[in-house]
Amino acid sequence: MTDKTTKTTEAEEATTSRRNLFAGALGTAVVAGAVLGTSKTAQATVDSSKSKLQQVLSRGVLRVGTGSTNPPWHFEDDTGKLVGMDIDMARLIAKSLFDDPEKIEFVIQGSDARIPSLITDKVDVICQWMTITAGRAQQVEFTVPYYREGVGLLVMADNPKYKKFDDLLKAGDGITVGAMQNVFIEDWIHKGLPKAKVDQFDSPDSTLQALNAGRVDAYLGDQSAIRWLMNQFPGRYADSGYGWLPNSYASAVRPGDPVWLNWVNTVYREALMGVDFDTMKASYKKWFGIDVATPKVGFPSEFQ
Amino acid sequence: MTYNFNFSVIWRQFDVMLWGLGLGLLLAVISLAIGTVIGLVCGYAFRTNNKTLRALVWGYVEFIRNEPLLLLIFFVYFGLPAIGIRFFDKYESFVITLSIYAGAYLTEVFRAGLTSVPERYVEAAKAIGLKPWQTQLYVVLPLTFRIVLPSLSNNLISLFKDTSLATAIAIPELTFTARQINANTYRVMEAWLTASLLYLATCYLIAIALRQIEKRYSVIK
Amino acid sequence: MQRTYLGELMKAKWSLLQGFITTMEISAIVIVIGLIAGMIGGLLLVYGPKPVRLLMRLYVDVLRGIPVLVLILFSYYGLALLGVNISAYTAGVVALAGFCSAHMSETFRGAIDSIPVGQTEAAKAIGLTFQQRFVYVLLPQAARRIVPPAINTAVEMVKGTTLLSIIGVLDVLLATQQTIARNYMVIEFYATAMLFYFVLNFTLSRMGAYFERRFGFIRY
Repeated sequence: MTDKTTKTTEAEEATTSRRNLFAGALGTAVVAGAVLGTSKTAQATVDSSKSKLQQVLSRGVLRVGTGSTNPPWHFEDDTGKLVGMDIDMARLIAKSLFDDPEKIEFVIQGSDARIPSLITDKVDVICQWMTITAGRAQQVEFTVPYYREGVGLLVMADNPKYKKFDDLLKAGDGITVGAMQNVFIEDWIHKGLPKAKVDQFDSPDSTLQALNAGRVDAYLGDQSAIRWLMNQFPGRYADSGYGWLPNSYASAVRPGDPVWLNWVNTVYREALMGVDFDTMKASYKKWFGIDVATPKVGFPSEFQ
Repeated sequence: MTYNFNFSVIWRQFDVMLWGLGLGLLLAVISLAIGTVIGLVCGYAFRTNNKTLRALVWGYVEFIRNEPLLLLIFFVYFGLPAIGIRFFDKYESFVITLSIYAGAYLTEVFRAGLTSVPERYVEAAKAIGLKPWQTQLYVVLPLTFRIVLPSLSNNLISLFKDTSLATAIAIPELTFTARQINANTYRVMEAWLTASLLYLATCYLIAIALRQIEKRYSVIK
Repeated sequence: MQRTYLGELMKAKWSLLQGFITTMEISAIVIVIGLIAGMIGGLLLVYGPKPVRLLMRLYVDVLRGIPVLVLILFSYYGLALLGVNISAYTAGVVALAGFCSAHMSETFRGAIDSIPVGQTEAAKAIGLTFQQRFVYVLLPQAARRIVPPAINTAVEMVKGTTLLSIIGVLDVLLATQQTIARNYMVIEFYATAMLFYFVLNFTLSRMGAYFERRFGFIRY
């Protein structure tokens, strides 16, 4: 077993997970300013023997930056093993490199360490629910996306009044939406439900408890988290069926290494549309409960 | 480290903070009032000869005084609906919790207060022919309140500080508004300094005001 | 599939145990720091040179006039500004310890002040130095008076550790909430947490009562 994890303390993990519920869409501006001036490492010359690809191959192990506290992306299962969608992506890269998905060293870090750890070369690639933004793309280079995140509303399955998004919308200011305390949360909710009342809580647990206790009528969360909860507790919750605020999750690599970037991209693209589609399909089913349709044979549909 | 203070964002939302402060005060005063009733009833219960009743009151006081308030708040707000008790909203559940919490501390206060009313006043009341309930209502109770007045004011200040926990169940009191401003503007220092000063000033104003009332009423020579 | 309380308790045992350790650890650290700082603070409040005395008074009165939760949030978001990577755990302990020290200082001051002046005068009369007066006359008497209020403060601090769950420290309360988020046994697991805090705090207060009886409160 080559899995090795560099652990932060429990408390730190807990806080990072809580600060990053919507890791996707915010914080970009803050991080963007923090590590500027490092992208000048971009070199014009491309020498494939000096690429990260060669380094990783000769090292024999892939170093992946990720987290450990956010299901279904990166978290520890009952046996303490790191699992999730991000972890599957990392294993896919390792499998493609060494024909062994276990040859990985996971570096567990908070979301704010994603860019710095790449810049300082502590990791080869980031698989940590990273949202593509123009600001971040000035500091690191993104692969093709492997998931489109957005927010949605979770309701109790046995709620007789509000089952679908339209019911919630019609209720106007008669409903309360619970969400985790966050900078833009009121705006986000009002983009979907302009009149709804908003109750903000400290943690996802408190918010979910409020939904269960009937204190709020709907729970605003990431679509992936909503689907994860529905999978975990079949029959208890329902998705109101509307999602908004799209953003794309991708991996990131250190800038200035087109060979490595292109190689990871190739692996991802062929997992999304080509030879490794089955593993991707299995991961989507497992973590999101989504059945992805097999790509049509014939003309590559992504170019249609 | 240099930090550039910019209080303009605070001034723009100062009214929101003041409303939050007022809400906290209101919650504290209501809870103190209900808690006083609980404390008085339980204080009298302690003076009866009924052992079961005394044990019950003792159990209530010991239990509540040893429980964290935040846990009690969560229990009432999130827990009770699970067993079908869901007819009160977040404000009501907070006031209920804080009143029960205050009641435990005030039971001790009133128990001590009732005990320390000098016997000669009760005897004097008897002597002028007051019935037992009249003695309690016109003699013992007013004296007790004068005796416990300092404790009551301390309790009000504590309760006012405790209302900061209401932020955990989405009640927009002062701490909640400070967190909002902190999150929305990143003016970390300004938001928390202002909130701290508002709490501090209010606590001392309450203390000074109540000291005046104490001076006026609490003197028993 | 029927969920049972014991089954769920077994499933959650490690995370609850971790929470238990965290709560005990933070309580212990905060109370020990509070006692030591409180003793020094109390002495400074009584015997310090005037500017020091005033500064201490300011510290004690300011910290006691602000809700603990506000101190915790202030410390959590404020320390982050320093740029150092300070965990929620550290920020929380700093806030609680600061608060505890303020209360303990006031307790110590009250205890020292309450010893009749006659005691000091008598000690002076038989020629004891300040140090001797403090160690042999004041401290033993002050210690007895400190026990009840100090135990009260200790209980308040144990209760106060739950506020750290709001900034994400995995204490008993947060571990309980996470457990409830998984199994929805709301009443059962909140009751479990209540039992834990009751046993811990009740033991603490009984210990206080025991020491109070054991060492007697000298009345004048």
